[in-house]
Amino acid sequence: MLSSPEGLPAAPPTDGEIAPPLLIARGITKHFGGVVALAGVDLTLRQGRVLGLLGANGSGKSTLSRIIAGELSSGGGEMHLAGAPLRHASPQDAARLGIVIAHQHPSLAPDMPVWENVFLGAELSYAGGFIDRAKARRRTTDVLSELGSRLDIAAPAGTLTAAGQQLVEIARALARKPRVLILDEPTAALAAAEVGHLFAAIRRLTEEGVSVIFISHRLAEIDTICDDILVMRNGRTAGAWTTSGRLDEGRILSLMTGDPDAVLREMGERRIGEPVLRLEGLRAGPAVRGVDLELRRSEIVGLAGLQGQGQVELLEAIAGDRRIDGGTLWHKDRAVSPRRPRDMINRGICLVPDDRRRQGLFSGETVGENIGYVLLALAPRPWRLPAEKLVALATRAIRRLLIKTDGPDQTVSALSGGNQQKVVIGKWLATDVEVMLLSDPTKGVDVHARSEIYAIIGELAQAGTAALVFASDVQELLLHCDRILVMYEGRIVEELSGDAMTEPRVMTAAFGKAAA
Amino acid sequence: MRALRYTGILPSLLMLVVVIALNARLQPHFFGLPSLEDNIATLTPTILVCLAQAVIVLSGELDLSVGAGVSLINCLLATVPISAVGGPWGLMGLALLLALALGAINGVIVTIFGLPSLIATFATAAVWFGLALALMPQPGGELDQSVGDLYSGTVSGVPVPLFIVAGALLIWTLLGRHRLGRRIVAVGSNPAAAFQAGISVLRVKLAAYLVGWLLVGLAAIAISAQTLSGDARVGDTYTLTSVAAVVIGGISLAGGRGTPWGALVGAIVLGIVSNVIYFAGIPSIWQEFFKGIVIMSALGFMVLEQKRAAVA
Repeated sequence: MLSSPEGLPAAPPTDGEIAPPLLIARGITKHFGGVVALAGVDLTLRQGRVLGLLGANGSGKSTLSRIIAGELSSGGGEMHLAGAPLRHASPQDAARLGIVIAHQHPSLAPDMPVWENVFLGAELSYAGGFIDRAKARRRTTDVLSELGSRLDIAAPAGTLTAAGQQLVEIARALARKPRVLILDEPTAALAAAEVGHLFAAIRRLTEEGVSVIFISHRLAEIDTICDDILVMRNGRTAGAWTTSGRLDEGRILSLMTGDPDAVLREMGERRIGEPVLRLEGLRAGPAVRGVDLELRRSEIVGLAGLQGQGQVELLEAIAGDRRIDGGTLWHKDRAVSPRRPRDMINRGICLVPDDRRRQGLFSGETVGENIGYVLLALAPRPWRLPAEKLVALATRAIRRLLIKTDGPDQTVSALSGGNQQKVVIGKWLATDVEVMLLSDPTKGVDVHARSEIYAIIGELAQAGTAALVFASDVQELLLHCDRILVMYEGRIVEELSGDAMTEPRVMTAAFGKAAA
Repeated sequence: MRALRYTGILPSLLMLVVVIALNARLQPHFFGLPSLEDNIATLTPTILVCLAQAVIVLSGELDLSVGAGVSLINCLLATVPISAVGGPWGLMGLALLLALALGAINGVIVTIFGLPSLIATFATAAVWFGLALALMPQPGGELDQSVGDLYSGTVSGVPVPLFIVAGALLIWTLLGRHRLGRRIVAVGSNPAAAFQAGISVLRVKLAAYLVGWLLVGLAAIAISAQTLSGDARVGDTYTLTSVAAVVIGGISLAGGRGTPWGALVGAIVLGIVSNVIYFAGIPSIWQEFFKGIVIMSALGFMVLEQKRAAVA
């Protein structure tokens, strides 16, 4: 048991004093199926301070914050809020205790107006439960203007831009007057001015004694706003300290990766060949608004940018999974206009889709069936395909891609996220893949499986496949790609290669700003 | 105007104008008081069931047992002696209690046991129908005339059916300004978001079923008061009519989008279509056929309109 600190001080502590801990978490664990997300994390959040939570994607930051916010139950460990054991079972419980989270991916009711989303679940109501609309609208306008935003509060949340939705998500958290505020990558979709307003709001809150957990990949932001740092790696606390003066970036990076050299580029020897795919002014729906690009044999090209700039739609359009409205798609020296995925699969152009559970797999089927169905679909007389051939294909794929499974007969949904993704890639091994299109292939995949997936992509590239990879994590593109194309509002606004491939340059372009 | 655009009710209003114009042309004295009163009395149960379906659909679920529920309540009303429950009001209270019980059963199966509502309510529909048949193997029975008198009477000059519809819409409007009503829409719009906002999705869906079935109970009372007899098949057509009306009214079957006014418009459109076909002098054998064609066209029109709106 932890010694119980005295109750909350009436006033926030001044400089020099050590602020008392408000929230303490010890040895928090969490499993998702076979995947260990948290392997015993310790966290201490002090009153009126901002704790920066850092870690590579998949290190467990979001899982930890969702457990603190009552959205997930923890598998083990204990938490204390202001000295009292914290046993909340739902977001409602957490909110009652003053713990509120703004998610990285806003979860809003798309059909409801902004102001209703802000007060959803915590409606301002008269006696009897009737909603005080005027007050809710007024308060929404207030909170949003605190964030420097002038959104139309009557617009359905689903019609907002990514930045607008993020602001609504943050406004919702602020409107609940939290004691503990968790901001999970709040700035990922925001422009610089909006970030400035957010930081000002955070400072006002901490002066009132509110404690903030701030998750971000941008070290400059951490440097600006955070008082304490916690670095996570593979579901564990890798290090925690109080900042004093400049941030030690080297220390953070080596703690995050567990290996300072891992930050170096990992590129095998590959000879980049002739062009295989070329786009000229490709347009598809409202999301893809005129894309030019060229992809060569053995080349790995990264597609970067903020979420929702048309990357997913572009890959789907190339794969024949989305109607092309204009422009030309050249495969080698022939213009093609795919009408369905099969048209492109026959040309060896394959998609590893965005949502592997919905688009990439038959979750109830076995590993072997999932790997084999491309072969079944492409065979001219599938009913004459010998069963042994399918088993052999699956066994080969399992061995080649290092898929951790009991064998071809295991149900694919029992596999971890990373191994499921390998199955999605593995099904294309039945064909000669000329172009592999990958849409965020490492989403929800742990660090180890992530590097294995890129190893597979590298291996395919060495054998001549061209890969076009969209990833929401810039770091991993910087690490593995020959070139990076940055998309903004449906167009490619920047192409970076060699020494120009740096995170600041990618991020600058991602916000639609001209390179400095 | 913008509010209208957001709710997507405009195309269905257009349809309403067309069918009313057609009806007014075909039915003599359509706008005369007697035929208006008659039409409203006939339409009331349909409107009520459609409103009921709308609440449940808005919450992201579906109920295919509303028609069978109407039948079961109707058969109960036709078998219980009115003296046993102390007059017509007692009988109506009994009907509403049974309706709430049926709604609670559906709600619990869908929320707590987590069965897909499409299948679960298809199954309970069979159960309700079976019970109704057991109560009343042949159509018949007799409701006390006092119930019918209540229904066909007036309250300070306003016909009672109109009063009931107005009451249901008032409840609906209040619900739209109430925490519960907005949570129903939120849960239908994005259950994950609702959960993360601290809303109990289960409880809200259960509440949607209860509110919906209160309206189903009212519909069953209205029908019973009109026919004054029991029939285990009296509610048969209401189930799919209510689903179609919800779609015609611009309410998304995926939940979360739409308004009660849409359900009202959809219900009136479908009700009047039957009228139009009747007065158009189409031979009775072919009436169902044409009704189907008209409904199909209306649904097609709505779906095309929604697609167009989504692209714009």
